[in-house]
Amino acid sequence: MIGGLFIYNHKGEVLISRVYRDDIGRNAVDAFRVNVIHARQQVRSPVTNIARTSFFHVKRSNIWLAAVTKQNVNAAMVFEFLYKMCDVMAAYFGKISEENIKNNFVLIYELLDEILDFGYPQNSETGALKTFITQQGIKSQTKEEQSQITSQVTGQIGWRREGIKYRRNELFLDVLESVNLLMSPQGQVLSAHVSGRVVMKSYLSGMPECKFGMNDKIVIEKQGKGTADETSKRCLSGKQSIAIDDCTFHQCVRLSKFDSERSISFIPPDGEFELMRYRTTKDIILPFRVIPLVREVGRTKLEVKVVIKSNFKPSLLAQKIEVRIPTPLNTSGVQVICMKGKAKYKASENAIVWKIKRMAGMKESQISAEIELLPTNDKKKWARPPISMNFEVPFAPSGLKVRYLKVFEPKLNYSDHDVIKWVRYIGRSGIYETRC
Amino acid sequence: MPYLGSEDVVKELKKALCNPHIQADRLRYRNVIQRVIRYMTQGLDMSGVFMEMVKASATVDIVQKKLVYLYMCTYAPLKPDLALLAINTLCKDCSDPNPMVRGLALRSMCSLRMPGVQEYIQQPILNGLRDKASYVRRVAVLGCAKMHNLHGDSEVDGALVNELYSLLRDQDPIVVVNCLRSLEEILKQEGGVVINKPIAHHLLNRMSKLDQWGQAEVLNFLLRYQPRSEEELFDILNLLDSFLKSSSPGVVMGATKLFLILAKMFPHVQTDVLVRVKGPLLAACSSESRELCFVALCHVRQILHSLPGHFSSHYKKFFCSYSEPHYIKLQKVEVLCELVNDEDVQQVLEELRGYCTDVSADFAQAAIFAIGGIARTYTDQCVQILTELLGLRQEHITTVVVQTFRDLVWLCPQCTEAVCQALPGCEENIQDSEGKQALIWLLGVHGERIPNAPYVLEDFVENVKSETFPAVKMELLTALLRLFLSRPAECQDMLGRLLYYCIEEEKDMAVRDRGLFYYRLLLVGIDEVKRILCSPKSDPTLGLLEDPAERPVNSWASDFNTLVPVYGKAHWATISKCQGAERCDPELPKTSSFAASGPLIPEENKERVQELPDSGALMLVPNRQLTADYFEKTWLSLKVAHQQVLPWRGEFHPDTLQMALQVVNIQTIAMSRAGSRPWKAYLSAQDDTGCLFLTELLLEPGNSEMQISVKQNEARTETLNSFISVLETVIGTIEEIKS
Repeated sequence: MIGGLFIYNHKGEVLISRVYRDDIGRNAVDAFRVNVIHARQQVRSPVTNIARTSFFHVKRSNIWLAAVTKQNVNAAMVFEFLYKMCDVMAAYFGKISEENIKNNFVLIYELLDEILDFGYPQNSETGALKTFITQQGIKSQTKEEQSQITSQVTGQIGWRREGIKYRRNELFLDVLESVNLLMSPQGQVLSAHVSGRVVMKSYLSGMPECKFGMNDKIVIEKQGKGTADETSKRCLSGKQSIAIDDCTFHQCVRLSKFDSERSISFIPPDGEFELMRYRTTKDIILPFRVIPLVREVGRTKLEVKVVIKSNFKPSLLAQKIEVRIPTPLNTSGVQVICMKGKAKYKASENAIVWKIKRMAGMKESQISAEIELLPTNDKKKWARPPISMNFEVPFAPSGLKVRYLKVFEPKLNYSDHDVIKWVRYIGRSGIYETRC
Repeated sequence: MPYLGSEDVVKELKKALCNPHIQADRLRYRNVIQRVIRYMTQGLDMSGVFMEMVKASATVDIVQKKLVYLYMCTYAPLKPDLALLAINTLCKDCSDPNPMVRGLALRSMCSLRMPGVQEYIQQPILNGLRDKASYVRRVAVLGCAKMHNLHGDSEVDGALVNELYSLLRDQDPIVVVNCLRSLEEILKQEGGVVINKPIAHHLLNRMSKLDQWGQAEVLNFLLRYQPRSEEELFDILNLLDSFLKSSSPGVVMGATKLFLILAKMFPHVQTDVLVRVKGPLLAACSSESRELCFVALCHVRQILHSLPGHFSSHYKKFFCSYSEPHYIKLQKVEVLCELVNDEDVQQVLEELRGYCTDVSADFAQAAIFAIGGIARTYTDQCVQILTELLGLRQEHITTVVVQTFRDLVWLCPQCTEAVCQALPGCEENIQDSEGKQALIWLLGVHGERIPNAPYVLEDFVENVKSETFPAVKMELLTALLRLFLSRPAECQDMLGRLLYYCIEEEKDMAVRDRGLFYYRLLLVGIDEVKRILCSPKSDPTLGLLEDPAERPVNSWASDFNTLVPVYGKAHWATISKCQGAERCDPELPKTSSFAASGPLIPEENKERVQELPDSGALMLVPNRQLTADYFEKTWLSLKVAHQQVLPWRGEFHPDTLQMALQVVNIQTIAMSRAGSRPWKAYLSAQDDTGCLFLTELLLEPGNSEMQISVKQNEARTETLNSFISVLETVIGTIEEIKS
């Protein structure tokens, strides 16, 4: 159970403070500020014990959220709760920033009132919460709305209310992946994984039953069993199916069906939700390869050459490419020449930042830089932080493909064909680093 | 700033709240109320407008109601008589046709923490339990627990408990979970809610309908249930299977714990479960939610204690990435250290070597210590890496490497030769006390194998006058005497000089005593010295004692998914011990019985210090007033353990400070008058283990900072740090009040 919840700005000023249990005093607010926010050393742990009280904190931009308890609680759950809290707040007012929190502080108190009672998490689904939160001012509720609250909360399906109607039945599927890479200077992959999410936005009438299919290896092999020919053909034609290391689903997915048939069927919540989350580590398409070359010319000069190669279909375009090449602390000047995009030395960040707006697949681009160093008597060797990269590509680096999403609503008169469906793939870089 | 202007603000707000024009305009009225809440959040005392706020509660505007109720819950304990006025409105709201208003009113009424409110809330709660809207029932169920808490230790209302037990069959999942929580609190004295077979099975069947918080909670309650037969046990495990794959890591961990506990008689089932949660745990370890990642890593370490090979094939997952936060990197290094085996040792060491040159000195040192840990098994490779690191000639690296070497030769005597060869030249790059001690110890114990050992020690002897750390001087005395035994010709002269210095000029008592002791020992005869100083130079068995082989899963299963793996067992033990002591008897004296016995071998000393629970939790004993005389004596005899400066501006009243310090059980012994420059104050405090903290506060004229010096009669950094943070909090608060 959570004894209290505090929100601070970066200076340690309290923006929100809500205490749920008697055992958490007002001094707890100050204790966290003094010991964690104002501490001189780096944060040693997201869980801090001060005078037998545990403080769990999460930082969003420069806002600190801290949950406080005296009990021996389940740490993962408390953090999940804080994340959920952030999500809910973000759903109401966008980015979590000092200004937004100050402007919406009434709303936040309202939310804290509904989400936690006596320190126990209550209803936290954004959709369901909407009925209880009145931040838009008074609404003298109609009879219909009132009965909705009751039916929704007593209903069998907690995440969807009955009687939803749309003129146009539409759904959007976003496959959002972040690809993480750690590569050695010799180009050997030290570790790589993709963590992905399938986010669905559904605007469907009634209580639709949905079935989602993707190129999961296990399913494909199962289906392929009958026709051995086809399977071998698939294998020959390259990567058709992917091995998912593990995946988790939104509450609405029937897990029993997934376990027995590996089919994903569900009644979706209305609006946006995260259908599934997964992770793959095998056969990842690494959209970019970074080849660094660093040469030390004497004591006061460094020559850096970095080549990036895009490794995907030439018809696709990667966007928002940014390569960050770290420079030593005693850099006095930098000359950069790049074939494409813009490169700039940013002294405050100790890095050369090379930006390219767009780049097609199977292309190569290169940057070379001469770094002048100030002679120092500091014997400390430069630690050579890795070269990191950011980008966005319009495909899924894990190779995941959506095969179908079928919608059945037996009670209303629309069929699978009437539903307008949109699918989009976005691959972003997570931590994408090459050591040099 | 708030604190000072409080009265004006209250006056102004009061006026605004009474203004009929504002009351008539809904938006303006609400705005004023919002300002009240905003000041309340900032810590301003807003209880002055209680009356006006009570009046504001009689409105149809739900937002306004919510705000006013929030206000009332905060200040009701201060103004109980006025709060009673609000009860009427609240009671009326409890029978509003809108379920939301009913719930809100009931929740607020139960949260009014003031005496005498019970008689008013009893009936509304009972009505609430039978309300047709589940929203109200949820609130009412928790209201029972709140009511019980208000009563304190009063008797348990049997009828209410029965009603709550029957509500476990409620339609609404949240009501069910709230019932469990509420019963748990009400029946705390009797050991909490009873989970019998029908309840357990009912809960198991409802599990899939609950949200993640509910699931985690119910999994926790199910730990209490003991299945009757093996068959039933496996039925339950089958039912719970899907929760091992839940999307919420908290639920996965909760389910894992339940599996481990239920299957405590079936080790193979336990192992099987741990294999199956490997995926989810690894996913959490590489997730973008850093805090969760940290928690998962702590649990991975826990599992590795029992199954060392469990994550070996995934060791690359624990390689640190440059941009990860500090705390994750430190955990990952620990994990790497524990999953090393014959196959991956090369790669892991290669990786750790990379971290040793990290920009963060802290992290670099952690990596070096990790290599030192691995060196106990893979000595040659590690010693080679460590030796190479010495070549970098970095202070922060050299000192840690030397400390690692010292620990290593004690446990693995076979590497002594290699270490001795690596040592020459190190002395140039060591400045801190720990590193110097380690180096001097090595030179003393293994000096006969290091050709230039006497000359290095000679440098230390020459500079002994400017040496600031007494511990280094002590180490130097012992080491030089040891070396003198093996290489008398080279050492005699400087030993004489050092002893002379220590006895005649040294001001630190302990060092002087040590010097005198050795001097007298030498007078007895060289054989006696040899008998006493030439103790064994290594003890490989210690390593085995230190990490007892694989611990059974059952030894930690009950700690899984709690704070224990996060804090570490030792730290948690002290936290919970203090919590227990607080409840029973705060003045129980605790003496550490073995603190002074045993031979004075530094290495062993060190081990013992590590074994002592690092007591981060501090408990200051109230009313421990020292006499000024005793204080003065103690103050003069101790060394300053910690010194720091805090920013400090302008004037203040010493009495305020004294009062504030009194609150946290720090006594003021003496204090200069207000306004005098330099201003000084002497403070004392004692914790529950009898350790004394003596403090001097000093404000120099014209200086905008306060200097704090703390002395401690037992050197324990953990408690010292907590004491200093208490002091900082108090002074920081006073500083805030002023400005």
